[in-house]
Amino acid sequence: MKKISIDPITRLEGHGKIEIFLNDAGGVENCYFQIPELRGFEKFCEGRAAEDVPQIVSRICGV
Amino acid sequence: MGKLKLASYWAAACGGCDVAILDIHEKILDVAAAADIVFWPIAVDFKYKDVEGYEDGYIDVCLFHGAIRNSENEHIAKLLRQKSKVLVAFGSCAIMGGIPGLANFKCRDDILKRAYFESQSTQNPDRVLPQTHYKVPEGELELPAFYKDVKTLADVVDVDYFMPGCPPTPAQIWAVIGAIVSGNLPPKGSVVGASHKTLCDECPRERTDKKIKKFYRPHEIITDSSRCLLEQGLVCMGPVTRAGCGGQCTSTGFPCRGCYGPVDGVVDQGAKFISALASVVDSENPEEIDKIISEIVDPAGTFYRFGLPGSLLRRAK
Repeated sequence: MKKISIDPITRLEGHGKIEIFLNDAGGVENCYFQIPELRGFEKFCEGRAAEDVPQIVSRICGV
Repeated sequence: MGKLKLASYWAAACGGCDVAILDIHEKILDVAAAADIVFWPIAVDFKYKDVEGYEDGYIDVCLFHGAIRNSENEHIAKLLRQKSKVLVAFGSCAIMGGIPGLANFKCRDDILKRAYFESQSTQNPDRVLPQTHYKVPEGELELPAFYKDVKTLADVVDVDYFMPGCPPTPAQIWAVIGAIVSGNLPPKGSVVGASHKTLCDECPRERTDKKIKKFYRPHEIITDSSRCLLEQGLVCMGPVTRAGCGGQCTSTGFPCRGCYGPVDGVVDQGAKFISALASVVDSENPEEIDKIISEIVDPAGTFYRFGLPGSLLRRAK
C-alpha cells in the first residue's frame, strides 16, 4: 500500500508526523497522527521544590 | 558570494529558543535579506526529506536547540551535522541537556510508566506504550526509540560553537547572527553570545562577606532588593554561572538557577557550586554545618537544574 509521510509537521510547537496510507484506487485508506517525542515532565518534576516548578514547567512549551 | 543558508532545528526542546530568535522582531527582515532559511520547522515548511536531499555542507550555519532524548533527535543531529558547515549548540538543552535533562534523575521505565499509565489525565486501560515498530492493517508505523538517558548535542556530533541560555537573549542572538553574516566568528569550540564572567561579576546587588547561618526558601523571607541574594540565604547559582542573561531572574528577586551554564574552565557547574557553598556556610561545627546544608531543598536538582546530562554525574559507565 502506498504511503505518504508528512514528517515533520511544521509551524507548530512540538513534534509530529502524519502517515497516510493510500489504497489501489489512490484514495485515502487510513491515516495516523504520531507524536515522536516525550520528555517526561510528569516524572522529573517529582522531588523538585514546589516554588521552582513554575520555572521548570514553563519549559514544556516556550512558543 | 550567494546568500547564506541558515537552518534551525529543535530536538528535545520547548521552542523557546525559536521564539527568542523571532524576538529580534523586525530585524528578522534583515536576516531574511542576508540569508535564505532552508530548514526551520517552527517557521517554514521544509521536511526531513528536503534536508536529506541537500548536498553535504549545503547549510552554512545550523542553530540546533534541544537535547538528545530519542533516536530521532540523534538521527537529525547527525543529518544536520553532515549538511552544515557550522553547527551551533544553541541554548541550554543542546549544550548541557537543559530542563529535559532533569529526566536523568529518573529511570526510563518510571518515566514511561508515569506518563502513559499513572498521570491523572491519562486513560490507558490496555496499558499501551509507544513502540518503535507497530503493525497496522495498512502497513507499519515507526516511532523513535526513547533513550535511557538524555544526552547533549556534543555527545552525539561534533559541535562548532556553543550559545548558552534558556533561552539566549534576543540581543545576544542578533549579535551572533551579525557575526555569522559578516564571517567574523571566533575559533571553533568557542562560547558565543555570552559573557566570560560570572553572573555575580555583573550583578548590581551589594556584596559584603558571605556568611550564611540559614538557607531560606523564597516564601520564607522578604529579601532586601539591594543585597546579594546568596548572602541573604537564598540558594543562588550566580557565583558559578556564566553571565549573559542580564540578570533576568536575580533582578526580580528570584535566585539564579544556572541556565547559562558554567564559566570557561569549569567542567561541572554543580560541583563548583558545592565548593562555593563550602566557603560561605558560617560554622565550624560539623553538626551545625549539616543542619544548615540540610535546609537546602532538592540540592542535586537545583545545582544541576540545567546541566545534568553534561555534568560529571552518572558518567562512569
